[in-house]
Amino acid sequence: MSEALVAVEAAGADITAPAASGARQFWRRLRAQRAALVAAAVVALLVLVALAAPLLTALEGQDPTTYHPGLVDSARGGVPIGSLGGISAEHWLGVEPQTGRDLFARLVEGARVSLGVAFAATLIQVLIGVTIGVAAAMGSRWLDQVLSRVTDIIVALPLMIMALALLAVVPASFPRPVLVALVIGLIAWGNVAKIVRAQTLTLKGLDHVAAARLSGWGAVRVARRELLPGLAAPVITYAALLVPTNISAEAALSFLGVGVKPPTPSWGQMITAADVWYQAAPQYLLFPAGALFTTVLALTVLGDGVRTALDPRAASRLRVGTGRARKEDAA
Amino acid sequence: MRQSSVIARRVAAASVGLVVAAGAAACGPEDNDAKGAGGDSTPHKGGTLTVLNAEAQTDFDPARLYTSGGGNVPSLVFRTLTTRNRENGAEGAKVVPDLATDTGRPNKDATVWTYTLKKGLKYEDGTPITSADIKYGIERSFAPELSGGAPYLRDWLSGAADYQGPYKDKKGLSAIATPDARTIVFHLNKPEGEFPFLATQTQFTPVPKSKDTGTKYEQHPVSSGPYRVVKNQNDGERVLLERNPHWSGDDERKAYPDKVDVRSGLDSSVINQRLAASQGADKAAVTTDTNLGPAELARVSGDKSLAARVGTGHFGYTNYIAFNPKVKPFDDPKVRQAISYAVDRSSVINAAGGSALAEPATTFLPDQKSFGYTPHDLFPAGKSGNAAKAKELLKEAGHPNGLTVTLTHSNSKDFETSPEIATALQDALKKAGITVRLQGLEDNDYRDKIHSIKTEPGFFLAHWGADWPSGGPFLAPIFDGRQIVKDGANFNTGLLDDKSVNTEIDAINKLTDLNAAAARWGALDKKIAGQALVVPLFHPVYKRLYGSDVKNIVISDWTGVLDISQVAVK
Repeated sequence: MSEALVAVEAAGADITAPAASGARQFWRRLRAQRAALVAAAVVALLVLVALAAPLLTALEGQDPTTYHPGLVDSARGGVPIGSLGGISAEHWLGVEPQTGRDLFARLVEGARVSLGVAFAATLIQVLIGVTIGVAAAMGSRWLDQVLSRVTDIIVALPLMIMALALLAVVPASFPRPVLVALVIGLIAWGNVAKIVRAQTLTLKGLDHVAAARLSGWGAVRVARRELLPGLAAPVITYAALLVPTNISAEAALSFLGVGVKPPTPSWGQMITAADVWYQAAPQYLLFPAGALFTTVLALTVLGDGVRTALDPRAASRLRVGTGRARKEDAA
Repeated sequence: MRQSSVIARRVAAASVGLVVAAGAAACGPEDNDAKGAGGDSTPHKGGTLTVLNAEAQTDFDPARLYTSGGGNVPSLVFRTLTTRNRENGAEGAKVVPDLATDTGRPNKDATVWTYTLKKGLKYEDGTPITSADIKYGIERSFAPELSGGAPYLRDWLSGAADYQGPYKDKKGLSAIATPDARTIVFHLNKPEGEFPFLATQTQFTPVPKSKDTGTKYEQHPVSSGPYRVVKNQNDGERVLLERNPHWSGDDERKAYPDKVDVRSGLDSSVINQRLAASQGADKAAVTTDTNLGPAELARVSGDKSLAARVGTGHFGYTNYIAFNPKVKPFDDPKVRQAISYAVDRSSVINAAGGSALAEPATTFLPDQKSFGYTPHDLFPAGKSGNAAKAKELLKEAGHPNGLTVTLTHSNSKDFETSPEIATALQDALKKAGITVRLQGLEDNDYRDKIHSIKTEPGFFLAHWGADWPSGGPFLAPIFDGRQIVKDGANFNTGLLDDKSVNTEIDAINKLTDLNAAAARWGALDKKIAGQALVVPLFHPVYKRLYGSDVKNIVISDWTGVLDISQVAVK
């Protein structure tokens, strides 16, 4: 599970007994969805691959940056020598055209960048979005106006154009993956804030929140003890859907040449370089594109599963966790 | 040289790039025979030639065009005093007469050049072409509203530095005399043995004063060549040419097709797809500006019928590493030499598209006779770099534990100065103990930075192409100390100001024997190479597809490009 989700859960960790049973119920409902379980396993595997990238490349005996000019056919534009793009015992997924760099090493190292940037950006988006959203809903009318207008502006900003502008002005010495994560995270938190504000306004009217406020709790304590548990469902759901969006954003930025810089591999960058090779060396495009597709699909399915598990109405259709569903079914 | 002209030269460099891009589809005569599968390979008149291009044929006014040798499409409409020889290879790098009877008669020190026009020359409306029209055409190119041409005329013609063109200054240019309707005399402010090369540019096209419509002239320029402009849409996006009935005939342009239809604004991959498929009208199609990329080449080379339809051309061009000796540690010649030894030209060439699209370069001059190419390799790196020798030099230079340097390059996708070449060099220098940090800049930013001595980085990727195939325009802008520009666009990036180099440049410019001049440019190239201010990397090669009905492919070393005036589609 993503850092973002963990963070949101941690924020509502010391919730009371009913909430704990809610968590158990959530797990039960999630487990009931086979697609979501498969997706979760795929995501876990990808994260593991990303974390273990240096080990995996060491196991293969290659690294992502060394050139192997002898493995490409210079007279034919640098197409890899051998069948299937030069797949061999030394180079598990073959080599990159023109350079002869090892594709497996670049793919798993690229996973670190792509997944790392996406998860970090999501975490930033959730942290900012929840803070702004709760503050807007709980604060004075004046504060709400200001924060809501700021949120509107942020939502209206076109992500790619803003990111292009920001990435172009920051000095090259700044570590690029961190920068890309920051830029995506700082630009695209608007929708999280909107969802959180709306949800908080609903929660605010509930008895237990009103009671907490009347008993003289401070705003922070109310937010932490009474609001965050109620916000967890929509926020986790949305975060699970943000991760694939952010992977795509990083890929697009690298595609446009302002993402991570060579020779650091990222999936987006590999796809950029490979798009012209789709006929001459198809595997060069297929591996990174396939990895990106699998990741985005898995996270989307998982996000959908999380939403279903947290949404009582959807959960009722799963026939898990509510007695009511079965009765209605029988009727 | 003045600042203004050097700024113009910067545009020149860009235009040369375009000309290059406008370039090549060559093949030897044997290829013509090989591909004659569809029938006989003798060219016949008739048909419509389609030109599929990426860049539009903008500013179609002879005053505004910046061309090498008169351009490809422009040369179908505009005849000039001299022109390039329409032959394959090195023969095509020679100047030949066009409107004039010879390539020019110089006085003793090459400061006065006299031309006589051929008899019976006519415009598309049947009126005669006179020497006064050529003078007027040149004068127009000085008008600020018709800018865009090369800076040479302003630099070379006596008293022309501040001339503002015929619209503002009715007296005209005193440096050009027209004693009679067929004679024109040019007075230069310094000896220029290469004036015949300059006279190939479209500014030497006759323009009838009575038909001049100023900035609107580009809509319908009056033709002196085999074709006239019938349609010009969206500033050259589509240009339709039909036969000029009053064309006087000339020795250079074959003009086989009845019509030439230039369609631009196409994506390069679309152009190559269409030429590969060669369906319908695309059978009779060529491109003058789109190369096969490495991936496309990989595909084409695996298909015999496609490979037979690829033309190969060489344009005089060099891609190189440039050093700024004012920036440490590149002030130390040993460090520059160490890098010269350490480069891996094989991996750089692979990054540029492989051995079919680039040839290794150890000389700054292109590997062509007309440039005075004299082979030398002062810091032999072999095929894949001499890391041991580089380490040794670094040790002598006081860097026994290696060195960390920053390599600046452009982020643009073209292969010339791209991140791919920078990363290939990064990998090669690592073996010599040199850690390379990459600084990729947005393309415009990169160009501004490397061409200003205030911001010039120490170690960067660069490229250079000449306005005509000779050592002069290739070496002088880069190595002449008097061309260092303090404020503005500077091309002498090595900041070389060596008296002996400067005087030799002046001496060669006086020569009107181009063969003798070429030999001395070659020797000068070797002499300058000893300073290790640049590391030549490769000379690009152009590979271009053409349609299955296209015949009579001629690609000269002047342009590296299939010459449209020669092709037939019947």
